[in-house]
Amino acid sequence: MSVALRRTRNPATAQADPFEGTEYVPARYETRAVTKSFGGANALTRASVTFAPGEIHTLVGENGAGKSTLVKVMAGIHPPDSGELVLNSERLRGLTPRTAIQHGIYLVPQEPTLMATLSALENLFVGIIPRGRLPFSVDWKQMERSASAFFEQVGLEIDPHAPASSLSVAQSQLVECARALVHRCNVLFFDEPTSPLTAREADVLFELMRRLRDRDFTLGFISHRLEEVLAISDRITVLRDSNVVAEFDPGEATRDKLVSAMVGHEIAQRKRRQRMLAADAPTVLEVKDLTAPGQFTHISFSVRKGEVLGFAGLVGSGRTEVAESLYGLRPASGSVVVAGKPYAKRAPAKSIESGLIYLPEDRGRNGVFADVELARNITAAVVPTLPRVGPLLRPAAEIAMAEGAAVRTHVIAQSLQAQIKSLSGGNQQRAMFSRWLLAEPIVALFDEPTRGVDVGAKEDIYGIIEGISDSGIGVVMICSELEELVLTCDRVIALYEGHIVGEVLGDEITLERLGSLIVGGHGK
Amino acid sequence: MTGVAQPLAPTAAPGRPQGGLFAFGRFMRRREPLLVVLSLAVFFFTYALEPSFGQRGNISFLLADSMPLAVLAIGQTIVCLVRGIDLSVAPILGISCVSAGFYAQDYGTSIWPLIPLGVGIGFGLGLLNGLFVTYARIPPIVTTLGTLGIYGGLQELICGSSEINVVPPTYHTLGNGDFLPDVPYLLIVGVVVMVVMAFALWKTPWGRALYAIGNNIDAAFRAGIRVNLVLVSAYAVCGMLAGLAGLAWLVHIDYASSVTGSAESLQLWSIAAAMVGGVTLTGGKGGVIGALLAAIFLDVCTNATLVAGIPVIWNSASVGVLLIIAILIDYVQSGGYSLRQMFGGPLRARLAAERGGTSAGGAK
Repeated sequence: MSVALRRTRNPATAQADPFEGTEYVPARYETRAVTKSFGGANALTRASVTFAPGEIHTLVGENGAGKSTLVKVMAGIHPPDSGELVLNSERLRGLTPRTAIQHGIYLVPQEPTLMATLSALENLFVGIIPRGRLPFSVDWKQMERSASAFFEQVGLEIDPHAPASSLSVAQSQLVECARALVHRCNVLFFDEPTSPLTAREADVLFELMRRLRDRDFTLGFISHRLEEVLAISDRITVLRDSNVVAEFDPGEATRDKLVSAMVGHEIAQRKRRQRMLAADAPTVLEVKDLTAPGQFTHISFSVRKGEVLGFAGLVGSGRTEVAESLYGLRPASGSVVVAGKPYAKRAPAKSIESGLIYLPEDRGRNGVFADVELARNITAAVVPTLPRVGPLLRPAAEIAMAEGAAVRTHVIAQSLQAQIKSLSGGNQQRAMFSRWLLAEPIVALFDEPTRGVDVGAKEDIYGIIEGISDSGIGVVMICSELEELVLTCDRVIALYEGHIVGEVLGDEITLERLGSLIVGGHGK
Repeated sequence: MTGVAQPLAPTAAPGRPQGGLFAFGRFMRRREPLLVVLSLAVFFFTYALEPSFGQRGNISFLLADSMPLAVLAIGQTIVCLVRGIDLSVAPILGISCVSAGFYAQDYGTSIWPLIPLGVGIGFGLGLLNGLFVTYARIPPIVTTLGTLGIYGGLQELICGSSEINVVPPTYHTLGNGDFLPDVPYLLIVGVVVMVVMAFALWKTPWGRALYAIGNNIDAAFRAGIRVNLVLVSAYAVCGMLAGLAGLAWLVHIDYASSVTGSAESLQLWSIAAAMVGGVTLTGGKGGVIGALLAAIFLDVCTNATLVAGIPVIWNSASVGVLLIIAILIDYVQSGGYSLRQMFGGPLRARLAAERGGTSAGGAK
């Protein structure tokens, strides 16, 4: 059968086994020296990677290394700045998501993008709804018949008429996979599919991936969990700072080799900060039995003046939820004491007043006022205390204040009057630090403080955090990058599914220890 | 603090001329000077066609005539800044107008004691809007569409079939007379309102909170801004200004009935003026100076079409065209789209531009 027939997109041909009647041409899909940059920062630099049929090929690397960008370029979502995409020695030009699917390339995105109010069935066939006999009609019977076959194929047991919004994340991902099969795709990319899944759910997905591999599908996979990467991958490519830095053949990779390739020498050079807290440093934050049903239970910990306490845990372990309820964004029971004063009925304005601040993880959604000038972004949390004459603020005094704060955190900008959206991610994050430092906190909660900033800015942010703790502010640092916790923290608490599962002190804070704690192990 | 302190250098962008024509060009890209130029252009064009258009009395009339709309549009601007919209300003204006009108007609009350009445009515009705929007969490367009009907009914209830057409002569003087040559009393009212609101927006914590909420309500809440209070107050202030506009309407037109305000679709005109003046439906942008100038501009255009002999039915069509142009200008300026991309380029180029523009530093 020819390629043209493979692209036949009428599911009416689908029988009990959706693979029947379709011959897939094994696809070898490669990038040649692909470069892609966003707003001046390279996300991908001359990357050449080959995905071969019958292989699960995994991309690993730290956040921002360029893994997602690579698969998005390959799926036609981002056009590459330069370089070629080659499918079975045919060069693909001007790839869009639509033409990618026509070539048999499908990306299962990080967050499934189903249409929430449509049924699973309609989501499955969207774009290629089978036609009935009357003009403009839909052959629902045909759709139902073939849908059950597709769902079965991916191991999904759901009511095909259930709205997509009622499906779990895992189920939605499987619907996406089924959709790829409906479109007769045999090059499938999975962009961090397992991070929102439980271990059992991930196993279902892995089983499907293995079955597809045995049918000579071409599979690309992205994950941060090295255990599962080592278990499932046939081939592993490591990216670091937008470059492909290593490729491991089957059986060649070990955990240590991967980690050293991912981390590289730049960060390894940086030493863990050695410091001693004064023995009599007072406690500035005391949390007892903080509980929010379904999110976290019996969270108790304390932070001392000048201490950096790390929160380690996977996404969904309750790290952010704990911080948000301390700051007053979510209700929770239990007692909180800030600087010796009990703090009940928490709310952001009251938190700022009592010296507790929270730097959110999603800067764009919860932090910056994009169209507002840099200076006013910096002073946003201290507006009630700004210098003023009568009811009117004094702009000159305000700008001087903002400038002082911006210099403290090394913000680099054309002008304090520039809209903050014109700044790079790293500078926006520095500006957020200066906003919260202006509030003169006693306790600072930093949630993923280095997310979405480049390597240079990361170094700078470690410096800022060190400076903050040296000045006597108690810091709670939530971070997915275990290396960062190892580098900056005096003490680390590990969370797993809403519980504190361990506490590590001083030099015992190591990658291995934390890595096993956050997946529920004992850390020995 | 560790690390090398990088001074925050407010340096000029390399290779970019700063002063002279370039600065002028940047200034003209703002909405306000553009509106002044356009108003003058339309005015002189019509003057050339029909010399009576430029007579002293007519200039004064145009300025006075546009002020009720200007005050309304300033209120609408406040609400639009927080991503809201108020469709009920027309009946609020109407209720204020007829309530004050009855006192004026039946008792000959002077305008001064009626100001608290009209403004108070507006405040109350606007407050109601704000409470519904903020605490019942009904989207503003639905809430105020509802109150547009409810307040309209209230106005009919108050007014019935009677009309206000006899008011003390001082009203007419106030609404149409000049303080100085070509400076009608009403213009002074409009400018005072504009100046007060401009100061409130730019130099008070309240104004700061409006822009912050319009930009990013979640970040505003996290920055300690009392979001609910500010939202309610925005609608209340909009209502107050609508009430004040009702009094301006009464003194200017000397007539009011059960359909005053709604009959002229003032809610839509106020939104049009606010948008032409530079605010956006997505909030967080624009100011009150633009709203006042836009109201004058729209009024000049309306009267110009009359003078030029264009049938009245084309009146609202021309406002519609202006509104769409204003939104296009904003789209081009804010999104970094060029007109060519918007109309000429293929979809793919447009999408590529969009991605490149919005996902800066978004590599994850």
